[in-house]
Formats: sequence, structure tokens, C-alpha cells
Amino acid sequence: MRYLVAAMRTLLFLDPKDNIAVSLADLEVGQIIEQEEITITVLNPISRGHKIATQEINKGAGVIKYGERMGHATVDIKIGEHVHTHNVLGDRLSSEQL
Amino acid sequence: MAPLMAFARADNRWGLRNHVLVLPLHSALSSTAREIADAIPGAVALGHDWSGEDDNDLERVISTLSGCAANPNNHSVVFLTLETPFEKEIVFRASSMSAQSLLEVSLPQMGSIAALTVSAKEITANLVVQASLEHRVEAPWSAILLGLECGGSDALSGITANPALGIASDRLVGLGATSVLGETTEILGAEHLLAARAIDPEVGKRIVATVARYESSINYEGIDLRGAQPSRGNIEGGLSTLEEKSLGAAKKAGNAPFTGVLEFAEIPQIPGLYFMDTPGHDIEQLAGFAAGHINIVVFTSGRGTPTGSPIMPVIKVSTNTPMFESLTDLIDLDAGTIAEGLETLEETGARIFDEICEVANGKLTRAERGGHQEFALSRMYGTVLG
Repeated sequence: MRYLVAAMRTLLFLDPKDNIAVSLADLEVGQIIEQEEITITVLNPISRGHKIATQEINKGAGVIKYGERMGHATVDIKIGEHVHTHNVLGDRLSSEQL
Repeated sequence: MAPLMAFARADNRWGLRNHVLVLPLHSALSSTAREIADAIPGAVALGHDWSGEDDNDLERVISTLSGCAANPNNHSVVFLTLETPFEKEIVFRASSMSAQSLLEVSLPQMGSIAALTVSAKEITANLVVQASLEHRVEAPWSAILLGLECGGSDALSGITANPALGIASDRLVGLGATSVLGETTEILGAEHLLAARAIDPEVGKRIVATVARYESSINYEGIDLRGAQPSRGNIEGGLSTLEEKSLGAAKKAGNAPFTGVLEFAEIPQIPGLYFMDTPGHDIEQLAGFAAGHINIVVFTSGRGTPTGSPIMPVIKVSTNTPMFESLTDLIDLDAGTIAEGLETLEETGARIFDEICEVANGKLTRAERGGHQEFALSRMYGTVLG
């Protein structure tokens, strides 16, 4: 697999099945990103290396990175939101009671 | 490609280093071992805290210490012993796995620590001279037993350093070398992808079963791993779940088929890509690799680490350029170039491959230059005796 080289890119889209992208820069609220034929308005401050939702992710739905399920949303997540421990939980080794 | 040059051992194994290892078989002699090795350039000590406990970890300890003694990077070993039966078992097992000189200096025979130190220094110095007379000769690719390690992972680990290392690992496996992925904790959530690459269904089942065994032990203990995995550092770096970390960690093993599954400290018998059941703790897991006769390691890190090994050269690769630039004395290569848009994964992978070859041929790593020689015994149970 050949990853996209990141020159002049703000976000890294790892796999077509993903509903998140990885930020290659620190993002500010209100920043508008136009890339890969989509436009995303950043809703939270997002640090470099962290994830941003590129699709709506409903509560309980899988969060997909590298084309694989890495956990599920614990609340509804909007496009442009920071996707991290406050709204995602792993499916495994978790004592969560749903 | 420059030829691979290594130290030929009498039993057809290959050393990428030619240490004289000073190995205490009881914690009481660990400081003495360090004193001896510090006095003699070319000698390394492997200090530890095992005091002969006969508990559920006994077999794990014996296999770790005997395996480390028989690692092909050792020219020879000087055991420091109290002559207990367990220590004799370690020496016996090491000698059954290794054609190198294994000498023993025992405290009961020497009568005092002072006399033992004098005698062991003399023996060690003589072995170092013998080691210095040996030369590297051209070696086959099967001489390389590469360990794949990551620690202090961040969100770029699975995008830069790990897949670039995977490219280097695939190329080595294709040439006939051995490559070993460890850290069971860190393939949890990715095991189905690795199992799908097994050379036969049996190996695939063992990969899944190894993770299941770990998962059930955690569930049995009632531990909620979410506090520890991903770690706080991982979370700050942008990793949200253990599965996310694992999907990125597994990329170190590239795309080659899995030849087999190894228990902790087990020695791979034929070249290929393996998974070894080791803990997520970096230094304990490196002990498992050393005991499994791995002779070189690549360690990818997002947060940075000084970790080295007394036995294996450890090449450090940063996942991001800012960390590389702040820890230049610890990190050998930067894979953050991929995220910076300066290199493709393939180019970084080729650079890692070249570095593995150079270090295999004798180039010192940053960890070696800095004298970083961490070692920790891996234990499964609390110590209840003693």
C-alpha cells in the first residue's frame, strides 16, 4: 500500500472506508479544510496526530481507521469534531456497561 | 548491496556483536557483575533481581536467563553463581543451546565476593582478548534475527515509522532472514488481520488463541485496561483505543506471511516472520527477544526512549520529526519525514533496511554509544516466597 505523501496537506486520509482522518497540523475552531473533494469545518481544537470526523458517526457505530474498526462512538459525532477518548471507546477489554 | 558480515558461531549461528557477557545467576551477584563488566571494555553485564525464588515464574526466569546466555551475539559467557540447583539448570540449558565458551565462577568455591571478583575479572579479560581475535566473515541473510518493537506510540506510529519498518521487515524476510513481532497487548484488536496472513490455518488459530489467552487472563483478574492501554502518553499522542494502537503497531510486521507463533523466549527454528507472546512492557519484551536469540532490534517510538539492551543492538526510529530533533542523542532515524511530505513510505523503509544492514555489520547504535543496556525479567505472578 502506498500512503499519500503529506506535502501541503492538512489531513491524512488513510483508507477509503475510514470515517475519520488524521490531522497533520494543529487545527483551530472554525478552520475550513478543503481536501479530497470534501469540505470540513473544524469544530474543536485538534492537535497534530489526532483524529477528526470526516463523516457523521452515530452513537454505537464503529469508528473506522486504516479501514478497520478501532472502537465505537459513545455519543453522536458530527463532521469536523475531534474524535478521541471523550467520544470513542474500544470494543475490547472494556468494563463499559451499555 | 554490501555483503552482510557477522561472527560465525561453531553451531552455524551468527553473531552481529561479539560481547563477553557477565551473567549473575542470583541478584546477590548483580552489582559484582556490573563492576566486572565496567572494568573491562568489550564485556557487558546483565544484572537482574531474581534471587532463586521457586515460584510459578521459575520456568520463565530459567528460560529467559539461559536463552540470553546462549544468544549468538555473545562471544562467551562468564556466569557468577551461588551453585544452587536452579543456577546449574540455567548453565546446563545454556550449554545445550550454544557452542560458545560458558565459564562459571562460583562464590562458594571462591570463598568471598572479593576473590570472586578478582578471578572473574581475569577470566573475562582473557575472553575479551580471545573475542578480539575473531573477525567478521560474509554471512547469509538468515544470520539476521530481527526483533520488531514499538513504545511510546503516537498517532503517527501506524502511519510513518511502523509501516516503514514493515517494508524493511518484508524485504529481510524475502531475503531469508527472520523477523519477530512481539507484544501481545498491542496486537489485540488486530489479530484477525495477522491470522489471515498465517502460512497455514493452524498458525492463524495460534495467533488468535494467544491473544484470547491474554484477554481472558486480564478479564479473570478483573482489570480494566483502559487506564493503562492506551497509556496516558499514547492518548496525549492521539491514540484513543487499544484497537487503534494495535492496528498501528501491527504494521511493523509488514505484509509477509506468518511462519509461526513463539512462546516468550522461544527460539525460532527456521527463517520467516513470527509472532512472539511477550508483554507490552518494552524492556521485559526485549528480554524475551534476547532469550529467543534475536540479534538485532528496531524500536519505533513517538514519544522517544533511551532503551537499549546489553545483548542486542537496538535501532531507534522516531515517528515524528519534532521528537527526532529534540532527542538526537537517542534516536537513530527519523520516519516523521513521511508526515512532513519529504519522503515516501518506501523511501523511509529503504533507509531503515540500510541502517539494519549497517548496524548488523557493526555500526554502533545511539543506544550502544550512550551505554543504554536495560534489562528486566518478565514475571507473570507476584513474588510470594523469599
